Amino acid sequence: MDAAHIRNFSIIAHIDHGKTTLSDRLLHRTGTISTREMEDQLLDSMDLERERGITIKAHPVTMLYRAKNGEDYELNLIDTPGHVDFTYEVSRSLSACEGALLIVDAAQGVEAQTVANVHLAMKQNLTIIPVINKIDLPHADVALAKQQLEDILAIPAETAIPASAKEGIGIEEILEAIVERIPPPKPTGQGSLQALAFDSYFDTYKGVVTHVRVFNGELKPGMNIKLLHSGKNYEVKEVGSFNPKPYTRPRLELGETGFMTANIKSAAEVKMGDTITDARNPAPQLPGFKEIHPMVFSGIYPINTADYEHLKQNMAKLQLNDSAFVYQAETSVALGFGFRCGFLGLLHMEIVQERLRREYGMDIIATYPSVVYRVTMTDQTVKEIDNPAFLPEPNYIEKIEEPMVKAFIICPNEYIGDMMALVSEKRGTLDHTETLDTKRVMLHNLVPLGEILIDFHDRIKSITRGYGSMDYEHAGYQASEMVKLDMLVNGESVDAFSCIVHRSKAEGRGRALALKLKEVIPRQQYQVKIQAAIGGKIIASESVSALRKDVTAKCYGGDITRKRKLLEKQKEGKKRMKSVGSVNIPQEAFIEVLKT
Amino acid sequence: MLDSCDGRVGGLYVHVPFCAQKCIYCAFYSEASSGELIQRYVRALIRELELVAPALKPRTIFFGGGTPSLLNLRQWSEILSAMDRLNLLGAEEFTVECNPATVSLDKARLLREHGVNRLSLGVQSLDASLLDRLGRVHTRDMVFRSFEILRRAGFDNLNLDLMFAIPGQTLEVWRQTLREALALGSEHLSSYEVIYEEDTPLFQQLQAGRFDRDEDLACAMYEELVERAASAGLCQYEIANFARNEKGASPKSPHSLPTRACRHNVNYWRGGSFHGLGPSATEYIGGVRTRNWANTQRYCEQLEQGKRALESREELAPFARAGETAAFGLRMVAGWPFEDFQRTTGHDLRREWASDMETLVRRGWGERSRESFRLSPTGLRFADAAAELFLR
Repeated sequence: MDAAHIRNFSIIAHIDHGKTTLSDRLLHRTGTISTREMEDQLLDSMDLERERGITIKAHPVTMLYRAKNGEDYELNLIDTPGHVDFTYEVSRSLSACEGALLIVDAAQGVEAQTVANVHLAMKQNLTIIPVINKIDLPHADVALAKQQLEDILAIPAETAIPASAKEGIGIEEILEAIVERIPPPKPTGQGSLQALAFDSYFDTYKGVVTHVRVFNGELKPGMNIKLLHSGKNYEVKEVGSFNPKPYTRPRLELGETGFMTANIKSAAEVKMGDTITDARNPAPQLPGFKEIHPMVFSGIYPINTADYEHLKQNMAKLQLNDSAFVYQAETSVALGFGFRCGFLGLLHMEIVQERLRREYGMDIIATYPSVVYRVTMTDQTVKEIDNPAFLPEPNYIEKIEEPMVKAFIICPNEYIGDMMALVSEKRGTLDHTETLDTKRVMLHNLVPLGEILIDFHDRIKSITRGYGSMDYEHAGYQASEMVKLDMLVNGESVDAFSCIVHRSKAEGRGRALALKLKEVIPRQQYQVKIQAAIGGKIIASESVSALRKDVTAKCYGGDITRKRKLLEKQKEGKKRMKSVGSVNIPQEAFIEVLKT
Repeated sequence: MLDSCDGRVGGLYVHVPFCAQKCIYCAFYSEASSGELIQRYVRALIRELELVAPALKPRTIFFGGGTPSLLNLRQWSEILSAMDRLNLLGAEEFTVECNPATVSLDKARLLREHGVNRLSLGVQSLDASLLDRLGRVHTRDMVFRSFEILRRAGFDNLNLDLMFAIPGQTLEVWRQTLREALALGSEHLSSYEVIYEEDTPLFQQLQAGRFDRDEDLACAMYEELVERAASAGLCQYEIANFARNEKGASPKSPHSLPTRACRHNVNYWRGGSFHGLGPSATEYIGGVRTRNWANTQRYCEQLEQGKRALESREELAPFARAGETAAFGLRMVAGWPFEDFQRTTGHDLRREWASDMETLVRRGWGERSRESFRLSPTGLRFADAAAELFLR
């Protein structure tokens, strides 16, 4: 297709605002999928979304559309992941487009996540087509939604298209707007191929299947290509598009979107945002590439130490499809052999852990997540520390810096006070407040990333009864008074319980952890002392009193089998406990501590 | 052990699965009694006795339940006559469990005439409100009255069952029960902590948070029990069992049992064989453990067709079986004489369990001599942890 008849766009929407339903409508209206397929898809994707609360990222889909002007267009819908952890991936997907549909729920209005993604789209100079969805709902307020578009996002209200993806209202208008308002792809003016790799997945037979958008020249089988950032050369095996199933095409030309296979063995070889070019006549790289760095780290250990090799294999498999997930072997005194894993954010961490458990059936235990601290030593060298165990002794440290985020919180007016209290509890500062409409405000805050890792989002949801929403973007590092908190069991430090915390919070956390451990460590035949310490100083102390008996019940001939089975089970259970200085600590203790 | 010299099994347990009312802590199989079903059960039991009689020469017999004393005079008479006919009477120890509410002089005399020489009274508590709380059908007074009736009928070997750590029981209430119970002067005392068995109302109450378990209180009660029983002349010979040691019959070695120890139960802890009859009863013969259906209807149907009513069968590998025997034998104060263990199991504690004994000795839980290994008084309180070590 000639570039003038190609449109590349994505959809920006908050969870539940109707992205999936609208996508399916567009696919259906353009004849890409049948009515039956649409219904099937609707069900599937809605279940998935509901369960995880995120949009599972889909392949880019190519639709053919005959516009009212009688001409045929190739419309490429490029999906974006719906969560802040994946900001960079969102930005790469957006940079493959010239425009974006912005969906706003007529009943819910603009949400924090939408704001963040619209900002990303605007930074890339995308043409934004606002769609006010769900206008069929009884409590839809189209006027208010339009007002918010202007006030919050500075998007002219008259450009908005009222629609109901569910009822099929406005679909025609949206398709026409895509053709009319979104500009066609333009060549970059370079002498050879430039294609953006914006996603990939692993196929057992074909290796890595890379999602590409051609910016210049053409991509076809047999070509020798080079990935500019990884510096590697490959021979293209296949190119094609999705409709939504993959189909091969003779070539992908300027402005077209689809996939490429080239016998690439691992997703790690294809960096997100890399430029694909002609190996013999390389063109310059496309703008916007960044190495992605994990922001959150956590140890993952097999509960059964014998599963280590198995876990290792499964992590490798997971990484094939998820190049943002990194891991390396580590050992813990308390947990044995495991892996230090890096994630883009908390949700990414949860997804990986959940997939290991569910898809791979692994019994795993994850340690308290940590961010990456930047530690300047007295000799001026700088270390990045993501594991409390490796934090140097305080006398060698000149300063510690922690990663900060700009957190946007949108909440109903009546909760402003509570939100400000929450932000300050999390050591954040309120930068400014923005009134969205008569009912809601947006708070702009600067908060340490480490503080929002655990329960920040849940707390916002519970304080605002579900009406509040939050999003964040990274905002560099800031010096901070961080200390290492150690938990000691009968005098021995348990590395898996250690964490890096702000000095102002160390004592509270130490006390809470000690109390929790007291609850979860079963009584043993001797007293168990639990202490929290900073440096050498004990800041909290608890003890589990000694057990004085374990049995005084009767047992006769008919009780023996059952009793024996019970004892066998206990014996098995003790094998799975971690023994720290002769104290048996059950796995649950490690899990409970993570929740503290 | 109790296997007779002619190779026939020497232990017989009979389960009587009927109760006037189910107690809230009880997980044994029993059901409310209906006259017709009891009668059918009696016939089925006699049939089962006939089936096992050729391989049985009981030296100890134990009728447990349920409530064996719930059977009426005619039913007892039928069972005992059948046993007589099958040449199953004349055991050295023949125990029947009784509920204090169902004891009568006539019944006691009938049992006595047929060779029953030991009765076990399910007292549980002597506190009126706790009896009520537990769902017991008898009163305090019935305990004293029935004890006297049994003495009058000529029984000189009586056991009382007492429970402690009952929710709501204070240390003071427990002391009072102990005082009154010991004053009766029974030859044997079985006393144990409440067990929270799944599928019992008591367990559900615990789950629902209606009360909390107090480990320290339970332990104090246990200590109280051991102390008071000893000063009343009852020596502890197993975690939950105490018996009188009659004058003149002074023990040959410190490890031997008190004369009034329940030999039927000792056979269980020593890994001996026994037949188990009646619904839900367990039987252990030649290392094979089987269990009857815990359903009286089904039990009767099977026997009416002339078959044993076996629900399950378990046969452990010899080494695992020896581990089990070791583990449960340690519940006895005398522990395991090495020779006895080897004779019973074919394995040597000194060889295969040396490091486990060593561990327990080091912890102060075990005492090892040339002839035997046993748990120390502290070790007895941790008999489960000790047992766990010995399982294979």
